[in-house]
Amino acid sequence: MAVMLARRLGSAAAAAFLSALAVFLLMRAVPGDIVGQMLGQSGTDRSAEAALRAFFGLDRPMHAQFLDWLGRTLTGDLGRSWYQGRAVTAMIAEAFGVTLQLALFTLAVSTLIGVPLGMLAGIREGTRLDTAIQTFNLLGLSAPVFWVGLMLLVGASAFLGWSPPFIYRDFADDPGENLAIMLLPVISLAILQAAAYSQFVRGLMVTELRREHIRTAIAKGLTPREIYFKHALRNVLIPLTTFMGLILVQILGGVVVIESLFSLPGLGRLILSGLQGRDYPVVQGALLFVVLIAIGINLLVDLLYAVIDPRLRP
Amino acid sequence: MIAAPAIAGTRLTPGLALSLLLLAAFAVLIVVPGLVAVQSPYDVDPSRALQAPSAQHLFGTDDVGRDVFARIIHGTRVTLGLVAGSLLLSALIGGGLGVVAGYAGGWFDLAAGRFADMILTFPPIIAGVVITGVLGQGAGNLVLALAVVYLPTFFRIARSGALSEAARTYVEAARALGFPEWNILLRQVLPNVLPLVVLQYVILFPLALQIQAALGFLGLGVAPPTPDWGATLEQGKNFILVAWWLSFWPGLFLLASAVAVTVLGRALRDRLGGD
Repeated sequence: MAVMLARRLGSAAAAAFLSALAVFLLMRAVPGDIVGQMLGQSGTDRSAEAALRAFFGLDRPMHAQFLDWLGRTLTGDLGRSWYQGRAVTAMIAEAFGVTLQLALFTLAVSTLIGVPLGMLAGIREGTRLDTAIQTFNLLGLSAPVFWVGLMLLVGASAFLGWSPPFIYRDFADDPGENLAIMLLPVISLAILQAAAYSQFVRGLMVTELRREHIRTAIAKGLTPREIYFKHALRNVLIPLTTFMGLILVQILGGVVVIESLFSLPGLGRLILSGLQGRDYPVVQGALLFVVLIAIGINLLVDLLYAVIDPRLRP
Repeated sequence: MIAAPAIAGTRLTPGLALSLLLLAAFAVLIVVPGLVAVQSPYDVDPSRALQAPSAQHLFGTDDVGRDVFARIIHGTRVTLGLVAGSLLLSALIGGGLGVVAGYAGGWFDLAAGRFADMILTFPPIIAGVVITGVLGQGAGNLVLALAVVYLPTFFRIARSGALSEAARTYVEAARALGFPEWNILLRQVLPNVLPLVVLQYVILFPLALQIQAALGFLGLGVAPPTPDWGATLEQGKNFILVAWWLSFWPGLFLLASAVAVTVLGRALRDRLGGD
């Protein structure tokens, strides 16, 4: 177990390092940095340009800039935003709170809807109910999330006369207002992920119910409830854990668009605005954070896998 | 060409027939959009801004009075065409590298594998946002971003395919007969890996389409005024409560094309026996 963990940690660290380097180089490889943006088209004052570049450390060789950033990052200092002057770590912490709330709500809702739907479709394979659920899966997986969000906005306004509040409020500040803001983003993301869950669980269930031990259980005269929940569900649980991790990573990606649509100040918006302003410390820090979260989730899934399935324990 | 016999052997369910019909229709729209949409997708006329769908403007008009129907129809080439092209690029490069890496092994396999892992550490949409966000708007950058995002997936599938093919007896036999390595790779291994890559292409298409649309929606896709489904959707966002049609139609077209390709992908997968 320790060996497996060490090996996985090692390759994860290598991947994170490489991706940090890639982002760093990519941002600096293209023309147009923050100095160009600050001075604008008219700014042809060479000395001002040089002074600003020196101020941001952009005059130094690329490898020196990278090593400097890497060294400070390893001590937990991601630098300060070039626009706001605030510590990047603080900005990420604030934005992540919003994204995490969105992601966890979505995960909860989509699991609660998607898993039972998938089980139901699998158990009733070939019936009309199965077809209906599969149609939902297909549509849910194919509809663009932001389109679903917009259509929900239209629907809520036209049929219920309700619109979400415009200004973001923290859950701690104003729970009611916060939940009202989160409602439509969570539903739009959850429809997609519930469809993904349902599709996946249906497939597992169908295969599972055809296996020997289920047939034995039926022959033994066990009730359907015992067969589905005690025998089938247990074996479905293992791949489901992996899938949950995958879904969580997907949600983390999906929030970029949804945050932009519903003006939520989360990680996605932080990355987008950082990219627009060429705010290197913010983009580098936020991306590194996202990558580490994704790696962390995958690692956690692997460990959980080993806990659930004893065969995978060395 | 590889996919053709695979499709031929598949049972034509009503769903599959419908999806093939839809795809054929989209193909026509990509090649000759002017055949269906007679109005110009670029003609601005403020006097007819934000008109609801009517006989004259089937899908209504946008905020500067352009015909939305024409913009959607002409946007097919930009949206679906770009996704198809980017994925093809990705399949050629990623698949090619994967076949070589899986067959040859060694340092090349290791280096390419590390590179693929690096791209895979980013959730796809984030990688797309970063690449287009840094490089800026434009069809070329969009193609590059989509191609890079799916490179590792094609690489992996082709690599594992080549790896298992290289261990087969017929490769050993060919080698014993004195065939040169490149000959074995091109004539024996590649044809056996190709179906895997084709299947992967169809399976990835709807996912790449979502990312293309999302990037267009975020203003990171093709530059305006080029008609693009994702960009039109975003344009409608600001008028959503007064002019729903501006966002509704591009989303519906995205949904329809994604459904059509997904159904085709599933039929192919059943036929080719992938997982």
